[in-house]
Amino acid sequence: MTKPENILKFYLPLLLVFMTSCGPRAASTNFHDPEMDFAAVRTVAVLPFNNLTTDRLAAERVRDTFTNGLLASGAVYVIPPGEVARGISRAGIIDPTSPSSEENARLASIIRVDAIITGVVREYGQVRSGTATADVLSVSAQMIETQTGKVVWAASATKGGISFIDRLFGSGGRPMNDITRAAVDELLDKLFQ
Amino acid sequence: MSFSINSFSKAVSIVVAVFIWLPSCALTNSAAIKETSDSAALYRKLRIAVLPFSSLSGSPVPLKNLRNSLTNSLKKEGLNLLDQEILERFIVERRLRYVGGIDRVTARDLKWQTGSDAVLVTSVELYNEDPPPKISLTSRLISTGSNPAVLWIHGIGLAGNDSIGILELSLIEDPRILVGNAIRNVSTSLAEYISSGRYSAARERDIIKFWPSVFYRSPIIEPGMKYTVAVVPFFNLSERKSAGEIMALHFVSQLRMLGNFTVIEPGIVRQALLQMRIIMEDGMSLADADILFSELGADVVLSGKVFDYQDYTGDLGKPKVDFSARLTEKNSREVVWACESHNEGDHGVFFFDWGKINTAHRMASEMVASALETLVE
Repeated sequence: MTKPENILKFYLPLLLVFMTSCGPRAASTNFHDPEMDFAAVRTVAVLPFNNLTTDRLAAERVRDTFTNGLLASGAVYVIPPGEVARGISRAGIIDPTSPSSEENARLASIIRVDAIITGVVREYGQVRSGTATADVLSVSAQMIETQTGKVVWAASATKGGISFIDRLFGSGGRPMNDITRAAVDELLDKLFQ
Repeated sequence: MSFSINSFSKAVSIVVAVFIWLPSCALTNSAAIKETSDSAALYRKLRIAVLPFSSLSGSPVPLKNLRNSLTNSLKKEGLNLLDQEILERFIVERRLRYVGGIDRVTARDLKWQTGSDAVLVTSVELYNEDPPPKISLTSRLISTGSNPAVLWIHGIGLAGNDSIGILELSLIEDPRILVGNAIRNVSTSLAEYISSGRYSAARERDIIKFWPSVFYRSPIIEPGMKYTVAVVPFFNLSERKSAGEIMALHFVSQLRMLGNFTVIEPGIVRQALLQMRIIMEDGMSLADADILFSELGADVVLSGKVFDYQDYTGDLGKPKVDFSARLTEKNSREVVWACESHNEGDHGVFFFDWGKINTAHRMASEMVASALETLVE
């Protein structure tokens, strides 16, 4: 006969695993429109990113890294930023970081793109916890199809921050450029998933 | 017997062949020597106008002293320089204010009015007397006449603590010694070019250390093809004054070394930008690039952005350079090459600052050279 203690020993961990799996699932930070044919997107324009940080160059740095990363992927052609600036000026877009559907359509007809990418830099710079400091970057981006004006992809990425090693040895974290590249790579991985 | 006759005839034929071959060899050698000496003599005859130096440093620089030092050094090398008074008169008559480059009209007038065959343009990027002193400058030789071309370009960045040696015995604390070293380096390089008509052998570079963080090359661009390139000043987002012009000069310098690029003199590019009233809001637009293609006869236009171009003062610190560049092609009207590169002077340095780079000039030069490897490899 099986003893009740043995039953408890066997089933209790199983129960715990089951209960934790029943908890709320972490929200995915990646969205793909299931109806969108991403292969049809050949040319994109990356608009200036919205900067919610205190560093005045943060958005421009992240946008540049994102643009180059996207171009280097070879999957799509990215319109150069000078041409995008000319399009924004000619389309009369007041706030290029968050254009309306009409503005998107106007811009797309001027610079001839299939999709427009906008982004927001939420955190860029040092964070402190006790005596430890490290750089952190948090960025989100979305792709808007110009024909329909629909958001067809959205994702966010956060990289850097204070790790256990940083707390233990006070290393100061990785350089900001490496963190930017890692965050952009994560965004691009999510886009091409 | 027949064997000995055969071997005798063979020996005779070899001796005859050697006698025929030797004089022809001597002729070839003497022809080559004559050709080299002819070109050397031709280059020696070049009359060079040394323009007043331009400053891209954003801080006070003894430009006159530096120019005099370079002029004296070039004279010692035996180069034929245009009399300074004649040049000054030309500058006053022409009301020439911009000396960081030369446009077509000035190059033509300089040829006909002063008789100079080439003009030496020097831009001082950094001059710091605080110990350890630092200096960075770029000189280029441009032919005068109706079609000015960059013949030679050489940049140097030196710091007093570049090689301190054991017990800091090689540390340079006197700025005059450092300036002397820099000027000597430039004048020797120019004299070498003028005597041989070509650049001295490029030194070995640490390509991997300065490899760009990301790059893209379109199949449209063919590495073996000859291209005429116009380098426009980079869009400067850094805190360093004139960083856009400095980065453009680095690219001009490295592209000129590559051989399969004909680089349009930056002064001509500047004149075209001014004449066409081209204002780059966020980089080069295709409409602006089209104007440059037609005005300058360029096949590709190189533009970019500088995010950081930092030097440091004193012992503690490190230079920092961060830029991105793009090459737009004429026929496709597309970006055919792009790269992004960032680096700090202590990258890959672990012990006692061994291998540390102390000037942004030297680091940017290495970074640009590595970035261009991705274009031509």
